[in-house]
Amino acid sequence: MYSLIVKMAWKNSFSRLSRTLLLITMIAVSMSMMIGIQGLYDGMANNMLDKNKRSASGDISIFAKEYRVQKDIKYRIKNAETIKKDLEGVAGVKAVVLRVKADGLGATARKSSFASLYGIDLEGEEKFGKFSEFLKEGEISFDNRGALIGLELAKTLKLRIGSKLIFSTQDVHGDINSISLKINAILQTTNISLDSNALFIDRKKVYKFLGINDGEVTQIAIMGEEESLENSLKDKYPEYDVKSFLELQPMMQMMQDMMFIFNSITFFIVMSVVFVGILGVMYVSILDRIREFGIMLGIGMHYKYIRMQIFLEAIFVSLSGYLSGAFLGAVLLVYLRDYGIDLSAFSDALEMWGYESVIHGTIKLSYFTTTFAAIITASILSILIPLRKIKKINPIDVIKAEK
Amino acid sequence: MFHFALKNILFYKGRSLTTFILTFISTMLFIVYVSMMDGSHDSMLKNSLKVYGSAIEVYHKNYRDLGGNEYLIKDVKTIENKLSKIEGIQLFSSRYETYGLLSFKDFSTASMVVGVNPQKELELSELKNALTSGEYLKNDGQNCIYIGKGVASKLKVEVSDEISFIGGASDNSFAADIFRVCGVFKTGLFEFDSSAAFVSKEYFDTLMLSQNKASYITVKVDDLEDVDRINSEIEQALNDENLESLTWKTLMKTMVEAMEVDSIFGYVSLALFLTVIFFVIMIYGFINVSSRIKEFGILRCIGLSKTRIFSLLFYEIFILSSLAIVMATPIAGYICHYYSVNPIIIEGIAEMYKDYGIVSDELPFSFNLFTISWNVLVVLVLNILSIVYPFMYVYSFGPIEASKHV
Repeated sequence: MYSLIVKMAWKNSFSRLSRTLLLITMIAVSMSMMIGIQGLYDGMANNMLDKNKRSASGDISIFAKEYRVQKDIKYRIKNAETIKKDLEGVAGVKAVVLRVKADGLGATARKSSFASLYGIDLEGEEKFGKFSEFLKEGEISFDNRGALIGLELAKTLKLRIGSKLIFSTQDVHGDINSISLKINAILQTTNISLDSNALFIDRKKVYKFLGINDGEVTQIAIMGEEESLENSLKDKYPEYDVKSFLELQPMMQMMQDMMFIFNSITFFIVMSVVFVGILGVMYVSILDRIREFGIMLGIGMHYKYIRMQIFLEAIFVSLSGYLSGAFLGAVLLVYLRDYGIDLSAFSDALEMWGYESVIHGTIKLSYFTTTFAAIITASILSILIPLRKIKKINPIDVIKAEK
Repeated sequence: MFHFALKNILFYKGRSLTTFILTFISTMLFIVYVSMMDGSHDSMLKNSLKVYGSAIEVYHKNYRDLGGNEYLIKDVKTIENKLSKIEGIQLFSSRYETYGLLSFKDFSTASMVVGVNPQKELELSELKNALTSGEYLKNDGQNCIYIGKGVASKLKVEVSDEISFIGGASDNSFAADIFRVCGVFKTGLFEFDSSAAFVSKEYFDTLMLSQNKASYITVKVDDLEDVDRINSEIEQALNDENLESLTWKTLMKTMVEAMEVDSIFGYVSLALFLTVIFFVIMIYGFINVSSRIKEFGILRCIGLSKTRIFSLLFYEIFILSSLAIVMATPIAGYICHYYSVNPIIIEGIAEMYKDYGIVSDELPFSFNLFTISWNVLVVLVLNILSIVYPFMYVYSFGPIEASKHV
């Protein structure tokens, strides 16, 4: 009996082929567009989040108390090398880097701008956040008074590879010091603050330039694997300011939240409209065959079998739509992930906002599972009203009625 | 045909109601969404222009690209004389910008220091309105400096403190002086407040040896819509290949581009909604038409042409769409107008997005009749397009075949 019902449901699903194909096309097109947009927006947010972590704060950063408020090298961590060694032994810590930062003036013969000097260790940064991936132009090297510069700062100061600039700031004793640097590379981290202001040089040179001792830093950045790490480090180093990535970059959290809300609203609206589409088709499909169902009830078929047949019809149609949409969506997402959308025509704007000019999408299994659940739910809900109509019919009246 | 279509609309209530509701929703969504998007973009541009931007700026060529003292404007008075004769210019003023180190006790910071005409800046920028403590600059040629809140916080200075300045003068010699902090401002533009300071140009010129010189001349126009005409008149009046006059569209090219990118993403999202709604309207139209094949067959048999059948379907969708649009547009228009006058306020958004140049928690909508008109037109065209496939389906039947259709 059940196999007969499955066969009948299958045949009836496609008996009005144009109508069914239209519905399948609607589900497929809307679903593929929706997951394409979700993937693209998530990709943009994830890319920014990932690069912000890798280029700046890591998962957790440790500062001297007051440093984040005062931004003064007076508030620095003095036993940073010891802390780094300790941290490297802590379970869940993947990588640790030490950084020294000083704000000052970057000047060329013609232009000047506010700049931040970062003393870093290239080997450590590579291990920490694949630093070389931020390279836009030139070569990552500190040789010959070499410095690496953020893309936007390079634009502001009109600097190219090989250009020279003077960075001036106040050292630890309050004296104004200047250092002459040669640009070896231009970096794009997509971290707005770094791209607009950062000059990276060897950490050891910064010690000498600022007059501070070896091993003293303004930031210890940690890349970790475990969520509990933040709390354990807060307990371990109460004398320091231990901050998580999202505490340091609340905008990222807000961006993620807004993206989630936007995607959820989009999803809800699209699925509601899809539901209306499925409802229309299923309702008409049942009304068209009301006499047929009357006969089936008249010859003694139980209502539950008719209900099952209609249920299966809705599932077959929506599943066909889902599979077509999932295929199209997957193709779109793979394309967006591998090739992205080239918005080089707007590169200045995108770079100013911390995005790359080629925007790549991301692929999450949840796009497919949530859509699957929504479409199946929509198709089940869409047959409730038609089923009520069948339940109420009098087989004799329906059979007698003119079609 | 019109009356026939009207009767069909009343008879096929399910289809009519669904089409009406979906068209109503899509019209509302389209108008309100575009208004919100345009409104926030306009607001960002206006805020940036209002704070310290200009409708038009006159530069010596290469100053913006290369910079340097050799590209300063060297005959400000002559240019100002020419500008004063151009209709549509409300006000103009020269500014002298330089970067230098400001220091107070043990603290130093790099800052952009600008020599301005304090009186003219009252109308050209929001500098005075941004005052948080102390007083605004005066035209008395004193060594008074008006600094951003971020600069004050870096130097840990208060009003009346004296700070030192070291920079390069316009003849490339060293320039150094002591300034007294007369006021602190906060415009909300994070970067600007952290790096800008202003002094009276009259005083600054004696220090920087920049009398009759300027980095650029800023021009305020009566009507921003008229900016291209005025700019072209300025170019003609200047008639100097070493000078260039640029409108805000060029000066704020990056921001304009950013708005365009944001609009692209906005329209992509809207396209998704409109596509789904288009499909559903088409499906309902198709279902309706396929249940009326016999009716169309009979109409053809009694002599109605294919054009008349198309007219019938066209009138049906046109009446339904127009009705929904006529009801949705005033409501959506009212929402746009209301929120353009009373912007939505999202507490903390300016602080959160300060790096992106957002200076206000207000999210105003735009109320533009032309935009609303084309939004409505798009919805109407999409609805009309939705009957193409159902008509082709009807068209595929011959009159006899259709009249026998079950």
